[in-house]
Amino acid sequence: MSLKNINVALIGNPNVGKTSVFNQLTGLNQQVGNYPGITVEKKMGFCKLPNNIKANILDLPGTYSLNASSIDESVVIELLLNKNDRLYPDVALVVTDVENLKRNLLLYTQIKDLEIPTILVINMADRMEHKGISLDIPYLEEHLKTKIALISSRKGYGIEELKNLIVSYKTISSEPCLNASIIDAEYFNSLRQAFPNQLLYKLWLVITQDVNFLNLERNEIRSSFTKSHSDLKRLQQKETIKRYQFINDVLKVGLKIDSSVAKDFRSKLDRILTHKIWGYVIFFLILFVIFQSIFQWSKIPMDFIDSTFATLSTLAGEHLPPGMLTDLISQGIIPGIGGILIFIPQIAFLFLFISILEESGYMSRVVFLMDKIMRRFGLSGKSVVPLISGTACAIPAIMATRNIENWKERLITILVTPFTTCSARLPVYAIIIGLVIPDTYVLGILNVQGLTLMLLYVIGFGTAILAAYILNIILKVKGKTFFVVEMPNYKLPMFKNVAINVIEKTKAFVFGAGKIILAISVILWFLASYGPGKQFKNAEKIILENTKAHPLSPIEFNNAVASQKLENSYIGLMGKTIEPVISPLGYDWKIGIAIISSFAAREVFVGTLATIYSVGGSDNENTIKNKMAAEVNPVTGEKIFNFASGISLLMFYAFAMQCASTLAITKKETNSWKWPAGQLVFMSSLAYIVALIAFQILK
Amino acid sequence: MIQEIIAFIILVIALAFLIRKFLFKKKSDKNCGSGDCGCS
Repeated sequence: MSLKNINVALIGNPNVGKTSVFNQLTGLNQQVGNYPGITVEKKMGFCKLPNNIKANILDLPGTYSLNASSIDESVVIELLLNKNDRLYPDVALVVTDVENLKRNLLLYTQIKDLEIPTILVINMADRMEHKGISLDIPYLEEHLKTKIALISSRKGYGIEELKNLIVSYKTISSEPCLNASIIDAEYFNSLRQAFPNQLLYKLWLVITQDVNFLNLERNEIRSSFTKSHSDLKRLQQKETIKRYQFINDVLKVGLKIDSSVAKDFRSKLDRILTHKIWGYVIFFLILFVIFQSIFQWSKIPMDFIDSTFATLSTLAGEHLPPGMLTDLISQGIIPGIGGILIFIPQIAFLFLFISILEESGYMSRVVFLMDKIMRRFGLSGKSVVPLISGTACAIPAIMATRNIENWKERLITILVTPFTTCSARLPVYAIIIGLVIPDTYVLGILNVQGLTLMLLYVIGFGTAILAAYILNIILKVKGKTFFVVEMPNYKLPMFKNVAINVIEKTKAFVFGAGKIILAISVILWFLASYGPGKQFKNAEKIILENTKAHPLSPIEFNNAVASQKLENSYIGLMGKTIEPVISPLGYDWKIGIAIISSFAAREVFVGTLATIYSVGGSDNENTIKNKMAAEVNPVTGEKIFNFASGISLLMFYAFAMQCASTLAITKKETNSWKWPAGQLVFMSSLAYIVALIAFQILK
Repeated sequence: MIQEIIAFIILVIALAFLIRKFLFKKKSDKNCGSGDCGCS
């Protein structure tokens, strides 16, 4: 039997557990973005409901009201007003937090007035007893003209009842909560007469909101019913007051709070975690534990993956029939895949910690804490969210700047976010730190490699703040904003939400960046396995002639031929061409090739070196790390990856742009090539200069 | 011979993938944003 499809929109204020409800309803049946971060645009999922109904669930960005003040909020309004949108909801679920019902109901009454069948979902019901809250559900249903689902998305109860309510959405009243005419009777009556077929509250939104409404004669409405900006603001305020009067009247009877039962654990904890000294100390300690753990806990699984792929590569070379395809598999594809999968443990641990911090409610305290510092550098407290999201990926982080109302603050945040250490930098840092920083301990407990990684994150964040300060002075744009952040309740992180987040982010890395790395590995293998001219074709002959006086062992001979071929291959010649530019930084032509190929995505760096060294490296070393450690400069005999060149590389990747997708998203968000071009030139120049200084001092 | 043919087919697929990815981006609903951010 075929399924009937319905569209369900999940709407609610930020921090009401909307994403948890989405996860409960859809499980892993989600079409989410490839990149990390909280809901920025449209997030889809589906769930099968009774009566052969398939619900397409749309998780909309968190919004406080339908009076849009950011692009995020506009997304919600545009969808709810456009009946022709293929995602236009058959039913809206307005998710609220039982502890903040009064404030959350403002949005509910607005959506209800659009005459969309609306179910009120009261979440976090498990906290009612603890907080001394009791609800008169039949009374609330009658006066709010809807059906109510009392759920706990954390504990998973009430979800089945919610699904049953969705199925019966056609029985839900679409009667509005508030008669729009009471805002200004005369004005609204003339509106009604001029547009008798349009919904009154929808017309009001068209007049007051600066968003795109399809199929509505916006210009006609505005020209006939124009009012001054201050008059409109006054009427919007009146609307809000009327709505709160209605909500107060309903809650006076429907909601009871026994304050003697409520405990004040939250405010005690808030006082410590947002303290002007202890708040920063605790945040710093948490970061410290995270970076120590990333290195310590990932070591065993990473070594296992590395050696497994090394063995696979050897087995493929030995057991498959000799030929070009076998070489491609053993020297190009297997090392390429290994170069991606080896970083899964570190990326999974990073997102495990970030998810726990977000889920527990601590991240909002960090945002509040950092706002005081951010303001001094021309950023908003809201900039902290993109900067922290930037530790995962700059792309959703830049998109997350859409909720910053002030254009100057938003532009500065967009421009400096790529400095924060994204997960694509992690593979580069991990391999270089593993090669050049000793695996020793300070004071018996502090791992030096973990400390170095933490320092790189601090450098990235510090540079972003410093760049913001400079841009704040240079950019001449007016405007002031006010920072409001909601402190959600502290919660024990839900295993399911954390697990879904970790799986999604890891999948995004493996299948998103992984495909690019694999494709580049294949191309690099060809470029490294073929070359023009006699130096490449007659490699064996040349080595034989050169070593006539001192004959080599068979292994030494094979290694010498491989080196001769690689140096004269297409990639070798390309690398040699750029070598004069990069040799002052301590890099050889092979690293140069890895830097060029990683322009598209930073993590390609390791995969590129893995492929190059697989083609031309020694047969004695098989893991990526060992191959890199064994590389020596043929002229000086010194290791290529030594302390000076390693630090230089770390500095280069800390500052360089090296991400084509970030440039694309900056162009899209600023609507100009000027800003991404500036970003690219500035970051690349800074990276080169800092790497040069680092190498010249340390060599 | 057959190994060479397959190897070159893989090369063409890899090249086509990268060209499509970075030069001719396909509009898709399954990426992080509005379809052309290049992140999918």
